[in-house]
Amino acid sequence: MKLSTNGRPGLRRRLVTAAAVFTVASLALVGCSSASESGGDGGTAEAGDVQLVAAIRSLSNSYHANWAAGSELFAESVGSKLTVLSDEADSQKQLAQIKALAGSGQVYALNVDPNTSADTEAIVRAVTDAGGYVVTQWNKPDDLNPWDVSDNWVAHISFDGRVSGLEVSNALFEAMGGEGGIIAIQGILDNVASQQRYEGLTNALADASGIELLDTQTANWSRSEALTVTQTLLAKHGDKIKGIWAANDEMALGALEALRAAGLEGTIPIVGFDAVPQALDEIKAGTSGYVASVSSDAFWQGGAALSLAYKAATGEIDVASLSHDERAFYGTQIIVTQDNVDDFLTTPALEDLQADFDDPFLRSQGGIN
Amino acid sequence: MTTTAPKLGEPVTTDRGAQVKKFLTTAGPLIAFIALAIFFTVASPTFSTPGNLSILLTQLSILLVIGIGLTFVILLGSIDLSVEGVMASSSLVFVLLATNDRNDFQFGFFAVIAGILTGSLFGLINGVLHVRLGIPSFMVTLGTGAIGIGVATVLFGGRAPRLLDDTLRFWGVGSTFGISNLVFIAILVLAIAFVVQRFTRVGRYGYAIGGDEAIAKLSGINIRKYKISAFVVSGTASGIAGVMAAMQLGVGDTTIGGGMLFTAITAVVLGGTLLVGGRGGVIQTLIGVGIIVVLANGLILIGVDPYIQTAVQGVVIVIAVIASGWSLRRRVRVIK
Repeated sequence: MKLSTNGRPGLRRRLVTAAAVFTVASLALVGCSSASESGGDGGTAEAGDVQLVAAIRSLSNSYHANWAAGSELFAESVGSKLTVLSDEADSQKQLAQIKALAGSGQVYALNVDPNTSADTEAIVRAVTDAGGYVVTQWNKPDDLNPWDVSDNWVAHISFDGRVSGLEVSNALFEAMGGEGGIIAIQGILDNVASQQRYEGLTNALADASGIELLDTQTANWSRSEALTVTQTLLAKHGDKIKGIWAANDEMALGALEALRAAGLEGTIPIVGFDAVPQALDEIKAGTSGYVASVSSDAFWQGGAALSLAYKAATGEIDVASLSHDERAFYGTQIIVTQDNVDDFLTTPALEDLQADFDDPFLRSQGGIN
Repeated sequence: MTTTAPKLGEPVTTDRGAQVKKFLTTAGPLIAFIALAIFFTVASPTFSTPGNLSILLTQLSILLVIGIGLTFVILLGSIDLSVEGVMASSSLVFVLLATNDRNDFQFGFFAVIAGILTGSLFGLINGVLHVRLGIPSFMVTLGTGAIGIGVATVLFGGRAPRLLDDTLRFWGVGSTFGISNLVFIAILVLAIAFVVQRFTRVGRYGYAIGGDEAIAKLSGINIRKYKISAFVVSGTASGIAGVMAAMQLGVGDTTIGGGMLFTAITAVVLGGTLLVGGRGGVIQTLIGVGIIVVLANGLILIGVDPYIQTAVQGVVIVIAVIASGWSLRRRVRVIK
């Protein structure tokens, strides 16, 4: 449409500017209003209307891929669709994705793995404002609890890294025959999981007089960094290293590659956490020295936690009546060694998890302290 | 007054004082590298052992290949941020075509070629989009990098495919004469890159374009063709690096290049290649990579607390960059 302005360019420019400002203002108005539209105080919804959402870091690590598969199993069991959000380790992106859920106007049940502890508060407040229901896992600030915020923050599930750290470390020491030096490769030093697992190691060391901690470094949960760090530590300590402890399987597998490159594969026992498929294969094969890992059962994490949020959203569970131990609890961790590795090598079927979907508290190990 | 023919990428000088300054400028990073090496040799008994030197070379190789590719683009005055995405894609293409635990392909060496060509393809896309559509290299490569991660995620399919081909694994894990095979691959890439930089038009016109694009254009150089070529070189290098990393780790992984982009850019800048282009080269990048690797290795060997290692590395890098650029600071240089 050509604006006829009879040779007054100033007018044309002003009209176009006014139109642009008007459009932007109306968009902003629409955007703001739809965010605050849904009520904030937790109305529940009919079973079919609840949107199911799983928010994880990325589908390109097996742990979260299994998590999403667990959520999918639950979604199938109630006949709903699942939305999977991946934030690629970007806190801002995760928060933006969760805030955008409010736009649909539906009540939603969210199962989220917050990127860091600092993000949890913003996430649960956004969910509260939108009238959704959320179960968080792994990361939250110590002094912030679900009952302090709202009934929309149904529960927080974590896993006591100190417990699994202790058990896995003991499995390592046993494989070493109780004697020798170890190196410890930690995750991101700021993460709760990394700190707790390392604390478990420290506690185990206190009781193991024959074992010496030669060195500890961080590889930030990364396989390639762990390879580099292990190479350097092998150069530094040489023969004194009789065992390798890593805070997750990805790093342990990186350390294993460093051993391979040095021709030491199979001579030094290694342990990790998370029970990723490749680690399980190594444990089963038994030739590379990979001794143990820990499973928090990512399928359970994806499915049962979503079930809990869903039951709160439909009103089946009354959040106000839940005890503190039910709103912040530790889940069950299982040490995986060659003896029981076969149980973990297959994706569970719905029947295997149905009991946990019916009672999400089945695997609670007690309240978080 | 006699003048020696200026070498590519180095300032032209004619008198003694300026020649000394010129030496310090171009040799600054080398001096920093030697200083660090001496410091760690003295501070740690294991630093200069043959075992550790071999490890230093291994740790240097993949970073060097990435840095070499980046050098060609940075010499233009552009940047290539797609490194990690390209590495991810090429590592997955490579592993999925070689003998692996996901499918029945067994293409062996052709899988290596396919992985490398994946990188070249991304480089070509970068170059064409940047040159033909006039999109700044920063944006284009950011976008293609994300595409690379996306393609890699689709190929990844939830768990890392493992490389089972013994010959290819030997390239990544085995060693010859006590030195990892990856080092030999990196040396080969460095040699080829040096020849390209010094003796081919792609290299020499790259300097001209980076030095002053307007003048280069006016003197009849086909800017477009050589810019695209530089991006193709960078993409190819990232592809090679992705394949090398896959051989070393034994898997194709979307995070295989994690953290390498900024480490490589730091190495290139540390070595003396200017971000605004026109000055530097692959040998300078070699020195920059050397500084980074020696620093990381040395800090662990002398037992610096992991909590402060990153901070210490940052401080040393800043000092090295300041020292290298000290005499240049008075020149009118456009710092963006």
